[in-house]
Amino acid sequence: MAVAEVATALRGQSRRRGRVRAPEIVAPAAILAVVVAACFLGPLVLPIAEPVGGNVLESYLPAFSPGHLLGTDPNGNDILSRVLHGGQSSLVVALAVNLIGLLVGGTLGALSGFVGGKTDTVIMRLLDVLIAFPSLVLTLAVAQSLGPSRTNTILALAFFSVPAFARVSRAATLRLRELPFMAAAELCGTPAWRVLARHLAPNIAPQLVTFGLLGMGIVIVIEGALSFLGLGIPAPAPSWGNMIALGQQSLSATPMLVVWPSAALFLTVLTFNVLGENLRSRWSRQ
Amino acid sequence: MAGAAAPIRRGSRAATLVTSPSLRLIGRRVLTAVPILLGVSVLSFWVLDLIPGNAAQQLLGAEATPEQVAALEQRLGLDRPAVHRYLSWLGGALTGDLGTSLSSNQPATGLLWSHLAVTGELVLLAFVFSLGLAVPVALLAAHRPNGFFDRLSMIVSIGGLSVANYVLALLLVLVFAVQLAMFPAIGFVPLGESVGENLRSLVLPAGAIAFPLFCFYTRFLRGDLVDQLQGEDYIVTARAKGIGTWQVLLRHAFRNSVFGLITVVGLNLGTLIGATVIIEQIFALPGLGQLLLQAINARDFVVVQACVVVFAVVAVLANLLADLLYAVLDPRIRYGGR
Amino acid sequence: MSAEPAVEPVTPDVTGEPLLEVDDLHVRFSARGRQIHAVNGLSYRLHAGRLLAIVGESGAGKSVGVRALVGLLPHSAHVSGSARIDGTELIGLPERELRKVRGADIAMVFQDPTRSLNPTMRVGTQITEAVRAHGDVDRRAARDRAVELLRLVRLAAPERRFLAYPHQLSGGMRQRVMIAIALAAQPRILVADEATTALDVTTQAQIMELLLDLRRRLGMAVIMITHDLGLAASYAEDVLVMYAGKAVEYAPAGTLFARVRMPYTRALLGALPVLEREPHTLLPVIPGQPPDLGSLPVGCAFRFRCGLASDECVAAPPFVEHEPGHWWACWHPDGRGADG
Repeated sequence: MAVAEVATALRGQSRRRGRVRAPEIVAPAAILAVVVAACFLGPLVLPIAEPVGGNVLESYLPAFSPGHLLGTDPNGNDILSRVLHGGQSSLVVALAVNLIGLLVGGTLGALSGFVGGKTDTVIMRLLDVLIAFPSLVLTLAVAQSLGPSRTNTILALAFFSVPAFARVSRAATLRLRELPFMAAAELCGTPAWRVLARHLAPNIAPQLVTFGLLGMGIVIVIEGALSFLGLGIPAPAPSWGNMIALGQQSLSATPMLVVWPSAALFLTVLTFNVLGENLRSRWSRQ
Repeated sequence: MAGAAAPIRRGSRAATLVTSPSLRLIGRRVLTAVPILLGVSVLSFWVLDLIPGNAAQQLLGAEATPEQVAALEQRLGLDRPAVHRYLSWLGGALTGDLGTSLSSNQPATGLLWSHLAVTGELVLLAFVFSLGLAVPVALLAAHRPNGFFDRLSMIVSIGGLSVANYVLALLLVLVFAVQLAMFPAIGFVPLGESVGENLRSLVLPAGAIAFPLFCFYTRFLRGDLVDQLQGEDYIVTARAKGIGTWQVLLRHAFRNSVFGLITVVGLNLGTLIGATVIIEQIFALPGLGQLLLQAINARDFVVVQACVVVFAVVAVLANLLADLLYAVLDPRIRYGGR
Repeated sequence: MSAEPAVEPVTPDVTGEPLLEVDDLHVRFSARGRQIHAVNGLSYRLHAGRLLAIVGESGAGKSVGVRALVGLLPHSAHVSGSARIDGTELIGLPERELRKVRGADIAMVFQDPTRSLNPTMRVGTQITEAVRAHGDVDRRAARDRAVELLRLVRLAAPERRFLAYPHQLSGGMRQRVMIAIALAAQPRILVADEATTALDVTTQAQIMELLLDLRRRLGMAVIMITHDLGLAASYAEDVLVMYAGKAVEYAPAGTLFARVRMPYTRALLGALPVLEREPHTLLPVIPGQPPDLGSLPVGCAFRFRCGLASDECVAAPPFVEHEPGHWWACWHPDGRGADG
């Protein structure tokens, strides 16, 4: 219908134009780069105290105290330093969990969708079981039985990122299979692995990457929850979750102890969400 | 539609339902839920029971002698093969016996029941708050896409989706309990004691769970409504009839969005029940989450296992219920294809 | 595919004031600074009771041009020019006023009856909704009227169909329901926007016959939008040919097909498959592509695909009445007859 054609034509134009500049993607990406640089390079280049081993005599210092830009916590540790180091562990955990999900789950889902038949049914049933689990609950149980540590947190969370990525990857694969070029590649006698690597992977990658960006936010929040409950990064080591938990104990007297790590958590998750969301709507227009 | 008048009869609805594809669909869905439930129980059993391998050691502490550990293992039946233990656990679970708590010696099933009501009420309130607010907001936003209200609601909702619920909970406590003293910061008043106080004690926790959920539903519903308004031919037909914009939105677009919304709500219940754990901890509510955390800290793996299974079963059932509701409500499924 | 028109000729009042006057209509879509010029100065007249076919390739602006009259375009559309129904200006009317025009003055039937009916609403409700949109009708009267409409479009067992959902009906039945919806408020103009394109040939003929019969009985004017010149030749009384958002030729059907003037119309006519064609010969096609509506060329938009184009065609040819009742916009009108 004519109206639909006009809409398509308009969409095409805005895309061509958007390729030159895309502020809605560049801006969050830049903020993200700043966050990552601050967390990983900040403690190295800025004159900041160590995140642990503070002097109790220097506890509860207000913001803008000499040597402690954001003040200190009940243990006399520098808050800015703990926020930055806490960001390191959040980002590392989130990245690891999503990479495992992307590689293992992405491959599993693509294979499942590509091969189809019984294999597909079996894999999807297994994933359904994992998806049915309330992730935080099982993660808590696993974290407890394995003992709190960064590696265990990653393993416990990967339990849930793998099926989630597999779902997305399988759905994308099934949609692609419908397209003529996939059939053409198969009819040409291209080996299956080659079809997967050359035709399938590049086409489902954008969807998996945007999903991964949204997943980064989710994992950072869950990792924070685990640490908040004392089942994530063990206590003296800094993490946003255990900083918030520590601040909760004196919430009415010193709310800033909660505000700083919460603000860092919010900003990071928001940036990942905005970036993922904008990339998704951009790619879905193509 | 009004009640049937002379020439138009709805036909025997009961008769159509029996032969309708809904029933077949319902049967299929229920059947697929069974292996998922079994899988969930196997998985939780495996994760909690086999990975640590030394539950008795953990229970007794590091300084326990090997003899003490062996004795406890025998008493708990941990010396038997895993398959045996699973099967006997499953047999018990099917008859409603989830074992005996290691820390309090009470039946786990009874413990779960006594904590279930609080969590149930919390989740229900969170759904009421979030859906009750999301539907009107999404409708207003979709009424003028890209208008002021639409943009505002989209900014608020992506912000709200980025707030961790435990951060939000503390923020709510800081503002409404500490500063304004409108609601209690912690504690729970049972429904039987005082309905008003009961609600007052649940407003903040339910709000902390509901706000991100509200943002999610608003985004979802608004997106679905706008997609329809801009892309669906039946919307053009409706507008071409000369009916009002709100009528088009409510009677045509919203009507079709409801089905997607139901599915999403069903899927959410699983994650939502996980969120209650941390919220119950912050507000000191005696719900399932608190039971779970206490059990985890007491290394009471029987109760942990029971909690995990119950959470998972609720999630699977919610999913199933959403599917069934969909099948009953959507006329394309209810009456089948041509 | 084209059946004979089975209707005795109506005697429309062609000499009197036209029912619908469209003058210099422009529709432009814009998004992020870029613009699509969908309709570029469209003018035509429609007299009461007449059947006008608007013909052209996809993207010629046929559908957009008609939807613009009643404000059924996306928000990104800018409409200018003039369109008067009985002297009342439609362009620029506020939504509230346009709503009264939709359905009551101008009603529409769309191409795809599967997608044009709300899948989750009973057919009857969708009709009563249209009945109650205009006029104060209570539920019961609206329901009786809806059943009557279903009977009017010759749907068997209307009382039963009233309760059906669209997916329980066949394509032809759905299109009959669409027509019933369109007739609900007794429109003066019925627009059939590719109304038979998605149907199979037999059903297509049945629906066309129904439309013609209803037109005669209800005295409506019909605008039939189609890309199928054969369909226009079989059923229409007047034919308007559009290209790149403009009218390029307009005449009563008999005149037009006897003496095609505009080379584009001739090309369209030549592209029709006919039985007399030699077997195993290539079907003629119009060479080239329709113009980019984002950046329209100056002058005649068809000149790049036209065998008769010359330097003159860089200046836009005016759309005027060259022969009595026969309008066209071309510097090099084709003098041959239809079979020449």
